[in-house]
Amino acid sequence: MRIIKIELPLKSEEIKMFTIRDKLLISGVLYTARDQAHLRLTQLIKEGKPLPFNLADSALFYCGPAPTPPGKVCSAIGPTTSARMDKYTPLLLENGLKVMIGKGERSKEVTNAIRKHRAIYLICVGGISALLSQTVVSCETFCWKELGAEAIYRMEVKDFPCYVAII
Amino acid sequence: MPSLRIIPEKQVYETIIDAIGKIYCQSTPETITLINNALAIEEDDVAKDMLNAMLKNEELAAKEKLPICQDTGIVVVFADIGTQVKIENGPLYTIVSKAVNDAWRKYYLRDSITFEPIRCFSNHIQNPENSQQSVILHLSELPGNKLELHISLKGGGAENCSLLKMFNPTTSLREIEDFIVDTIVSSGGKPCPPVLVGVGIGGNFERCAILAKRALMVPISPSEKKPEYKKMEERLLNQINQKGKGIQGFGGKTTALKVNILSEPCHIASLPVAINIDCHAHRCISITI
Repeated sequence: MRIIKIELPLKSEEIKMFTIRDKLLISGVLYTARDQAHLRLTQLIKEGKPLPFNLADSALFYCGPAPTPPGKVCSAIGPTTSARMDKYTPLLLENGLKVMIGKGERSKEVTNAIRKHRAIYLICVGGISALLSQTVVSCETFCWKELGAEAIYRMEVKDFPCYVAII
Repeated sequence: MPSLRIIPEKQVYETIIDAIGKIYCQSTPETITLINNALAIEEDDVAKDMLNAMLKNEELAAKEKLPICQDTGIVVVFADIGTQVKIENGPLYTIVSKAVNDAWRKYYLRDSITFEPIRCFSNHIQNPENSQQSVILHLSELPGNKLELHISLKGGGAENCSLLKMFNPTTSLREIEDFIVDTIVSSGGKPCPPVLVGVGIGGNFERCAILAKRALMVPISPSEKKPEYKKMEERLLNQINQKGKGIQGFGGKTTALKVNILSEPCHIASLPVAINIDCHAHRCISITI
């Protein structure tokens, strides 16, 4: 198993250096997005409105964090099932998305779209959320706070462990 | 006639708060042993890396009192109530619900409940400051004067991969076993394997689903189970693991840690089979009051 340290954002030229099952230790900014945030991002694109952040400069993490207890940087974090985001993903890839982090398999259509746009899908282990929280440098609600755990959070991470699943 | 035993509301309330405090930051001891066993036989380096991370997470979460999984789930409670028990200031649901909501705030657990399942009916408006937990409470009777509570924090990812099928009564054992194996294998990495598999067989449409959930949550002594079912569990576990989906669906020797079957009588026209899946973050406890 190769272990590679990387900094976000990732460019297509960097992505092609990786192989399936490489372990990546990611540093940089992740934006969380689950079902409802995907629905809203997609609606914004369809209406031709600006997105709250630049998809190309970031990574989407399919995650709804647990609330942060006092005195901690963040609480438990971890991936939710990526397949639920499949129907929104090709449009986001067309709009610059390069890096997705979640768990489980993706549809054939999403796999093809990831390859076409030279993007990358990473999985991180589900159910190791206390451990993953140790890699978080900062975590704040970025937008759509009314969605609670489904809001978009901006998370700065250092050496966040993932594995290359689709490239 | 035997006298009624009154169980104070406060005792039930505090028992549930303490139980949730124990399980949100640690899987059951049996699950941790099974993960250790899976690591001992694993040869794939990525699978080993993932299993090691799971064990490290268990230690860290218990020490730091952090949730082992950010999805702190929906609360499921089986309450088996002795016929000689009266719970003070019931209904039990009200006491359980208050305890769960207070535990949620006390331990900073995630609000994962939408009170309107069809989200477009609710305008997506949730007030995170004013969140409320719902509880799935299954009540049943027992002889005696004890209250048995089986409590679980059940995550959504594994629950989504669960399945129920009404088979014909002449369906072969092979077909039933294939259905169970295929359900687990085709779920791939979605339910966060290694998983625990609860199977309900018999009853009727709703009863076999409840049996499958109970099979995940309620320990029963091996002597209560027919040898045919014990053998079936072993066969299913072997067949699932031989398919090699592995840890997080990323390969390896272990996809399921355990298969547990519960069965009940059913109608001669039916053969209901339900499969309920839980992830390795198996947050579950049984308490007798």
